[in-house]
Amino acid sequence: MSHHLALFWIMLRAALLSTTGTGNLPIVHQDLLSRGWATDRQFAESLAIGQISPGPTGLWVISLGYFVGGLRGAAVTLVAIALPPLLVLVLVQGLYRRWSYHPAIQGFVRGLGLAVAGVFVIVLTGIMNTAGWNSTNLIITLGAIVLGAMRRVPVLVVLVLAAIVGIALF
Amino acid sequence: MGDSQTQSEQPFVGGRPSPWRLFWIWTVIGAQSFGGGSATLYLIRRVAVERHAWLSDDDFTRYWGICQIAPGINILGLVILIGWRVAGVPGALLSLSGLLLPSAAITVALTSIYASIREAPVVRAAIAGVVPATVGLGLLLAFTMVRPLLNSARREGRASTLVAVVLLLVSTIVAALARTPVLAILWGAGALSALAQWQLVPRQRWPR
Repeated sequence: MSHHLALFWIMLRAALLSTTGTGNLPIVHQDLLSRGWATDRQFAESLAIGQISPGPTGLWVISLGYFVGGLRGAAVTLVAIALPPLLVLVLVQGLYRRWSYHPAIQGFVRGLGLAVAGVFVIVLTGIMNTAGWNSTNLIITLGAIVLGAMRRVPVLVVLVLAAIVGIALF
Repeated sequence: MGDSQTQSEQPFVGGRPSPWRLFWIWTVIGAQSFGGGSATLYLIRRVAVERHAWLSDDDFTRYWGICQIAPGINILGLVILIGWRVAGVPGALLSLSGLLLPSAAITVALTSIYASIREAPVVRAAIAGVVPATVGLGLLLAFTMVRPLLNSARREGRASTLVAVVLLLVSTIVAALARTPVLAILWGAGALSALAQWQLVPRQRWPR
């Protein structure tokens, strides 16, 4: 149980201290990997599952919560990501309406977003370190970028294609 | 955004749905919005603004602006604000759970199915292909996160652009080299950017 409580706290803290569905990723990544509760492979897997399931970007943590703590882990993660926007928006709605366009607030959000993207790239290179920097992997990565950049191709198709390539080659 | 920020919010004129109906409307959005955040946002706008007229286009944009600085998933903040407008705190709770429950349930179902076949050789091979693809899509995601931030900095002038580029590079390098707590990097970059922005953006451009 304390395990699930700790998971809840990690997820809650990460969601409270970041914005967007991927802003919490660098924090969750550091917290869970340092405890040995999740692996880089599980991160990649939950990101992939998050991409193919419906709903807003950011539900990948529910998948990760399942890997770490089963059904209960997924449930505490769901509560942990629902609470921060609910509490903050309901409690300080008036403040938000008044201050959200202040240059310093806008600046903070911009700096946070830039750093999240920067750290995210480092997390991705970590995942690639685990997978191996061989030419096959690099070609798949490049192919996913090219296909993903063409907005016509759904993410699901990109991932299915990658899976087929994996079955054919590995 | 633009001028819409300075106008006050329009009063609520749409019909108030029953609690069950409100929950159901959001459930349908949650279950059918495949394709990530932009697909969900598009569906929410169509349902809340066009179909039910719960709020105007301007208010939708204003709400979305507020949600950019709310903690957690932005779309959840938007759902909470719209639900709150339609039926107060119960409306916010109903809307949020309506959106989350089906999509979270599908995510859990997919994960548990996957977890049970995870070690099969075919699945291992498939995942060996999917992992680098996820890295590629992740890099693309990082790019789409950075682009609007750099564009808005560029519109403010050379100084803002320089600050943004330096923050991006420094936070990446620090994350790669030092064993720094990630939170320190994220909030440090936020604080520095806030300070710079406060100095660089003239006060009169801050609408009340």
